[in-house]
Amino acid sequence: MTLHGFILRNALRNKRRLTLTVFSVALSLFLFTVLQTALRELTEPPEIDDAALRLVVRHKVSLANVLPQKYQSRIERIPGVKWCSKFTWFGGIYIDEKNFFSQFACDADCLFNIFTEARVAPEQREAFVKEKTACIVGWKTMQRFGWKLGDKITLLGTAWPCDLELVIRGVYYGGIDETNMFFHHDYLDEALGKWSVAGMFWLRAENAEVMPELIERIDKMFANSAAATKTETERAFQLGFLSWFGNVRVLIGSICSVVVFTMILVTASTMGMTIRERAREIAVIKAIGFNARQVFALIVAESFGLAIAGGLIGCFGALFIANHFDIYSLSRGFFVKFEVTPQIIATGLLISVALGVFSGLVPAYGAIRASVVERLRAPE
Amino acid sequence: MAEPIVQIRDLSRVYRHGDIEVVALNRVSLDICQGEFVALMGPSGSGKSTLLHIIAGIDRATSGLCVVQGVNVGELSETDLAEWRKQHVGFVFQTFNLIPVLTAYENVELPLLLTQLSAGERREHVEAALGLVGLADRMDHRPGQLSGGQEQRVAIARALVTDPTLIVADEPTGNLDAHSAADVLGLLQQLNRDAGKTIILVTHDPKAAAHAGRMVHLEKGELLNGERK
Repeated sequence: MTLHGFILRNALRNKRRLTLTVFSVALSLFLFTVLQTALRELTEPPEIDDAALRLVVRHKVSLANVLPQKYQSRIERIPGVKWCSKFTWFGGIYIDEKNFFSQFACDADCLFNIFTEARVAPEQREAFVKEKTACIVGWKTMQRFGWKLGDKITLLGTAWPCDLELVIRGVYYGGIDETNMFFHHDYLDEALGKWSVAGMFWLRAENAEVMPELIERIDKMFANSAAATKTETERAFQLGFLSWFGNVRVLIGSICSVVVFTMILVTASTMGMTIRERAREIAVIKAIGFNARQVFALIVAESFGLAIAGGLIGCFGALFIANHFDIYSLSRGFFVKFEVTPQIIATGLLISVALGVFSGLVPAYGAIRASVVERLRAPE
Repeated sequence: MAEPIVQIRDLSRVYRHGDIEVVALNRVSLDICQGEFVALMGPSGSGKSTLLHIIAGIDRATSGLCVVQGVNVGELSETDLAEWRKQHVGFVFQTFNLIPVLTAYENVELPLLLTQLSAGERREHVEAALGLVGLADRMDHRPGQLSGGQEQRVAIARALVTDPTLIVADEPTGNLDAHSAADVLGLLQQLNRDAGKTIILVTHDPKAAAHAGRMVHLEKGELLNGERK
């Protein structure tokens, strides 16, 4: 036997209590990891290089307000604008509400000149551009519903008073979000009876240097019109979009704090109970020569082991779930990505280490301070 | 006579609980020589266990001197005292106090985990100690699988395994039947006689005390027939 073996034997002496405590720590760290990952996905949208030259022009008041389509020709004439596309979120239902995925009406001929990171087979892109009722779908959504090229898809209108019948002519890969559907804005205009509006405009600038000037110029151009615009970079747009969810950071931070605090209470209570039950044994090992530092280390090591076991199970359990389950489907499209990063796991494990140490501190201190004689005399 | 291994001079121990003072020991003086088997006898509350605990270094005197093999144990820090106990004292308790999740072998090995001995060297010591108490065939048994007498013999092996200067036994037969008690006391006698171990036994039982070479009587914290110099 070694001292490590002795610690392990002590930890395993009450298997039910050990299992329940490790499980509760694991569950808490699992929840912590999932919440931190969700927070990261909500507040730190992924960045890609191709997004650096993109701008979004939307209604100044709200994303829910629309802009006149006639703005497009004026925007396109501004020096520095390379490509400009109408972009309108459709929000239709495919068979059932739970089959959520995003659908956008756009200018088919220039969409992939703006979103250059997306990869589409040339013939599919051509077929998409040529046919008014065609659509291009991200491969994740294709896989989710088992669609094939040529399939007809009906979308029931919710935000817009029309239903659309589309034919899948292409699949795209790459980019931040591989779940969207894109179709012709002309088709939507026709179905709406020529409303001549667009949700927003997406632009690609000639180069990075002109972007600040473009932002200022576009907004100034429409500042005194009925539909004033707000032009911003793609990054700023994503972050602004996420602010719809309110102060998510505070909410999730609060929940995580409560989770961690509860873990401390559970583990500290378990260790306190365990050490009280072993008071006489601790007195005996002190009598046979274990000094205060060694007794302290034995108790804190046991607490540490318990907490780290729970931490490993919880954090890596969350990683396993994120990597092996379709979170996009489970969240009904809310989370396009759900990446449990090494930083989040490291934070979770660090918390479990701190938990283990702190939970053992008070019982260990009590144990080393206790009188050997009094503990030996105490009734069993 | 051999030089005293334990020298106690005017030792007192007073317990204070608020305004209440309990004099457990009152100016006790005593010498114990190397190789002696001494029984500390007296009724309950006489201070015999208190005296034993001070000699063994798990309690501190309020005043007076306790020197064991030239070391004034009252002046050692807690860390040094633990180290001193590890090297010089083997404990045998009334309630055996074996660790229930460890086997007999592991219980005896426990004090050796604090030494620099290798696993092989530890095995030699443990097997020798268990062989001495006649339990070499029970090494892998846990305390719950042993009788009371066997448990106490394992406890004696644990006390012996570090080859301590002193073996202190606090009512070692208090929880045993007559037959097991006789076995344990016979074992202690054998260790004293054949291995030359210095043994201090606390007991209120004259039959147990009769196994010792010398009896020292305490009553109300004072020696009745102790040696005073």
